[in-house]
Parts: sequence; structure tokens; C-alpha cells
Amino acid sequence: MATLQSTAPPDADATRSADRPVVRRRRTVGQRLRHDWPLLVLALPVVAHLTVFHYWPTAWNIIAFMDYSPYRAFWDNPFVGFAWFQRLFSDPYFTPALLNTLKFASLNLLFMFPLSIVLALAMNSIISLKVRSTFQSIVYLPHFFSWVLVVTVFVQVLGSDGLVSNWIMGAGGERLNFTSNPDTFLLLVWMQWAWKDAGWGMIIFLAALASINPSLYEAAASDGANRWRRLWHITLPSIRPVIILLLILQIGGILSVGFEQYQLQRQSIGYQSTEVLDTYVYYQSIIGSQGESFGTAAGLFKGVIGLILILIANNIAHRLGEQGIYQKS
Amino acid sequence: MTAVQSIKPRRKSNRPVWDEEPTPAGKAVKALFMTCYAAAIVLPIWAVLATSFASEEALSSAGGNLLILPTDVSFAAYREIFSGGALTDSLLLTATLTIVGTAISLVLTVCGAYALSRTGSLLHRPILWFILLTFLFGPGMYPSFLVVQKLGLFNSYWSLILPGAVGTFNIIILRAFFMNSIPTELIDAAKIDGAGEFRTLFRIVLPMSKAILAVIALFYAVGYWNLYFSAVLYTPGLDTQPIQVVLQRMLMSTQGLPDGAQAAAQYQDQGEAAPTAALKMAVVVCTIIPIVIMYPFIQKHFTKAVITGAVKG
Repeated sequence: MATLQSTAPPDADATRSADRPVVRRRRTVGQRLRHDWPLLVLALPVVAHLTVFHYWPTAWNIIAFMDYSPYRAFWDNPFVGFAWFQRLFSDPYFTPALLNTLKFASLNLLFMFPLSIVLALAMNSIISLKVRSTFQSIVYLPHFFSWVLVVTVFVQVLGSDGLVSNWIMGAGGERLNFTSNPDTFLLLVWMQWAWKDAGWGMIIFLAALASINPSLYEAAASDGANRWRRLWHITLPSIRPVIILLLILQIGGILSVGFEQYQLQRQSIGYQSTEVLDTYVYYQSIIGSQGESFGTAAGLFKGVIGLILILIANNIAHRLGEQGIYQKS
Repeated sequence: MTAVQSIKPRRKSNRPVWDEEPTPAGKAVKALFMTCYAAAIVLPIWAVLATSFASEEALSSAGGNLLILPTDVSFAAYREIFSGGALTDSLLLTATLTIVGTAISLVLTVCGAYALSRTGSLLHRPILWFILLTFLFGPGMYPSFLVVQKLGLFNSYWSLILPGAVGTFNIIILRAFFMNSIPTELIDAAKIDGAGEFRTLFRIVLPMSKAILAVIALFYAVGYWNLYFSAVLYTPGLDTQPIQVVLQRMLMSTQGLPDGAQAAAQYQDQGEAAPTAALKMAVVVCTIIPIVIMYPFIQKHFTKAVITGAVKG
């Protein structure tokens, strides 16, 4: 999504087509078809794929407004309006799942995002290229590990039979139950995120930092600004557009905190602390017996809120004079 | 000239002249922070590796299920994994899924990205919007599940590949690369020489895009290799499960959780049993190794790919 503005700016397309001979515009559709059919053939598989696996299921969301049963012909299913949503909001398990989701999302926003920025700043200030590239190789690596692997490693290191627990017991302490303790689950989630993705989150900030013109720093330094003032007056304003862009994306994805990390730890931590909207849909309507329409309604709720949030956040960014994810056209 | 150069003081680092030297305390704090962070990533991986080669005695004398310092080397765990049982099947299945899936995804992505990089062609803008709109709204878990069922893909390995075969984000990254990094003149020249779109794509564009194609292939391959959620959702009934699902079951079993009990029996019934912890860690190592092998080749390029997709310019 970050790319809407970057790769498909309307004005860039305009300049490109301005380079082309004007004659092209006068062609009829038939002539253009004869000329461009190979491109259409190339685009066809992707379009077909998205139609089948994205737009078709999107259309199926209509069953959130129906009393759907797979044993009836589709149009025999009666429309019930927002009845499923009413049932969703009165479901005793829904509100905790929603609150958990918001809790994890704000954790991400408040403590993951700044961590990546701090890491990027620290990394950017390393002058030796060798140290820098070694460190980069190390911190990017866990991004490519699966959640199963991350959770397994955490259980092995911090679990009750794990490495740290054994050290503590060897020193006469008590057994650690960090990976099965619902009270500290938030901290555990944060540590897993930090371990897996904080380094990866740095990439984009590093790129933004690298594009700052060094003569700005030089001028500021010769005017007597020390490193903290340079950080505050040059570095942070320069990466502000990137920070805001990522913030919008984060806000848009606030209800999508993932599935695997929570599902994997559900048994050891308990469902009360680990239930998020995605696991809720899965356990209520795919595993459980709440039915097709109910699960669809829960998913649709999530999708619509996400869409609204992203539009609002983008609008605010425009008002603040930032570019946001797409430009006003 | 030479005289001037010899007067110039030799500087120890390539720190810019205007930048003041940090205080020793500041340096120490930063070094400590970075070292701890790197160690927190490297040490667990090392411990996993060391444990996977540990024998029963070494493990029990260490009193736990993870070692830092191996005392002896035993290949029992790896012998068990590759002895042709359920674990071998699972690894083979995952490798096959990864290869087939990556090939399909890459072909779709290249075709789509190239078609969209030729601006001004017929239906170019509608197709672009068709793809960009997918970013704003996801269909949701249940409708996707329903469609997979309707297509008859439920409990078929194809359901692990097809629904997620196209990464629209990757299409946009690759399109941006085609548009920004391959000179239009080159493509126009090929056109004047009589090359059609297909020939231009295969003879001009693709040979110039090897690095970014490698990165995108890696992204897809890692996705398929690590797939867990789609297997839980779409293929719960199959006997041979992808390796991540197997690893999850083994994890459950050693945590003494109900789901794991029968799984433990399934993966440990063949011949001489390797220590549970070592076996589990050996599976972890097997899931890491393909990634670690590919990593150095791709690493120098992926920053560029991520940035092409994300930051303007």
C-alpha cells in the first residue's frame, strides 16, 4: 500500500505518456487492441487470479447480511439486515477479542515503531562499514523465520524448561513460567515482535536517513549545532514523511495484528489473553459452530473498520501537509 | 600537490570533519546496546544448533533442553529426520510446495508487472486500479475459506499455493523497477528493431532484472517455506503436513499440551529415538537452513527491493 503514491503517481504516468508520440492517442480501440494484445495476455493471469481469489470472496461478504446456509440455493437465503452484526456485538467473547486486538496494535504503535527508529538512528551513526553490514545481516535474519519457529525458540529459551529458567534454578531461583503466563503475555508478544521484526522495520528508515543531504549537517554543525540539535532539527524532520506514511499504514492495519503468533500460544497462555479478531473468526466459525454468516460478519467488520481508519488517517495526513499513501487527484 | 597531500593529517575513520567525536560514555552505551541486541538474536540460534547435535547424556547432564556449549556431537536427530518417516515426508512436501509455488508466483508476478509497466496501453489504468484496490480491502478469512471450499481445493495441496499465489505488493515493486531502472530508450529500440512485447520481456527486460527477480523469488519462497496458517485453515485433514505444522505439533507435545500427545507418538515411533529436545531443535535447524543458505546471496539486494516498493524515488 505504501506504493500507491510512490510507484503510480498520476503525474508520473502523465509525463511518461507525454513522451510518447501524440499519434497514439488518435488510434481506435481496435487498433490499440491489435497493438497491445500481448500486454493484455500478460496481465490476464493476474487479473483472473485476483478475480477468483480476491474479488470473488469479497463479493461473498454479502452473506454477512443473509441467513446463509450452504444447503439452500444461494438466492433462497433470506436477507436479515444487520442481525448478525447485532449478534456479534452482543457475543460475550467478541468484545474481549476486539480489546485484545486494540491492545496489541497500540503496543505495536507505541513500542515497536520507535524501537525501529532508534535502531535505525543507532545504525546510521555507525561509521565503520564492516560493523554496519555485519549488524545488518544479523538483525534482518529473524524476519525470514516463521512464527512457529520464533515461538519454539522463545519456549526453549524462556519457557519453564528453557535455558534461562535452568540458569535461574541453577542459581537457586524459582522456575520461570514466562511463556505460559497470561499476565506477562503482552511483554512476551512485544519481545517476539522485537526479536523477529524490529530490525526489518529499520530498513525503510535507513533508506530515508541515507537520502538526507549531508551538507545540511555540515551547515548546522558549523553553525554550532551539536549532535542532538542536528538530530532534532535535521534528521527527524527529514524522515517525517516516511514516519507518517508508515503510521498511516499501521493505523489502517490496526485490527490485523496477525493470526499465527496468537494461535500458536493459545494453548499455553489460554484463550482469554490471546484471542484477537482473526483467531476469533477462526475458532468461532471455522472450528466452532457459529456458522458462515457470523464469521463473515466478524471479518467484514474488521475489513470495513480497517478501510475507514486508513481513509481517515490519510485525510489527516493530507491536512497536515503530508503526502500520505495516495495523492488527492 | 604531493606536498599538500602529505601535510593533510591522516584520519583514523571516515567520520566527516564537521562531526564531533562522540564521548566515550556515549560510545560505550551504543556499543552495549547494539551488542546485546545482536547477541539476543545470535545466541538462541546458536543454542538451537548446538542442541540439535547433542546426545541424550549431554542434554540430561546439562539439565535442560537447550545447550550453549556442546560436549559431543551426535547425528541421531538428523538420522531420524531423514530416515524416511513422517518428518522426511513433511520436509519433501514443503520443499515441493516451495519450488512449485515460487515458480507459479514468479511467472504471474513478472507477467503482471511487465504488462503494467507499459503505460498508456489499452486498459492499462483499469487493470492498475484493479490491482491497487486489493490493498485497501481484504476479503476476510471466512469468505476466502468458502471460496476455497467451493473450488474443491479444501484438503488439497493446491489450496496452499493458489489462493496466495499473487503478491500484489511484489507486482508493484517489480513494476516500479521495470519503469524506473530499465531505460525506455532500450525498450523503444527493441520495438523499432521489430521485437514484440514477449521478445522484449524475455530478451531485454528480464536479463536486466536478475537481482530484483532473485529477491522477489526469495520473498515468495520464504512465504511458502514458512506457510502455517493456510495449512491450518485449508488442509487440516491431510496426513502429511508442511514442516511448520509438524514443528508446531512437536512444540505442543513437549509443552505437555493436549494437542501434542498423539503428535509426539507420530514423529517418534521409528527405531532408535533421538532425544526429544534434540529432535525438535534439529527440525528447527532444517527449517532455518534453506533460508540461511539463500540469505547471503540475496541480502545485498533486498534493501533495494524493499525501498523501491516503499519510498518515493
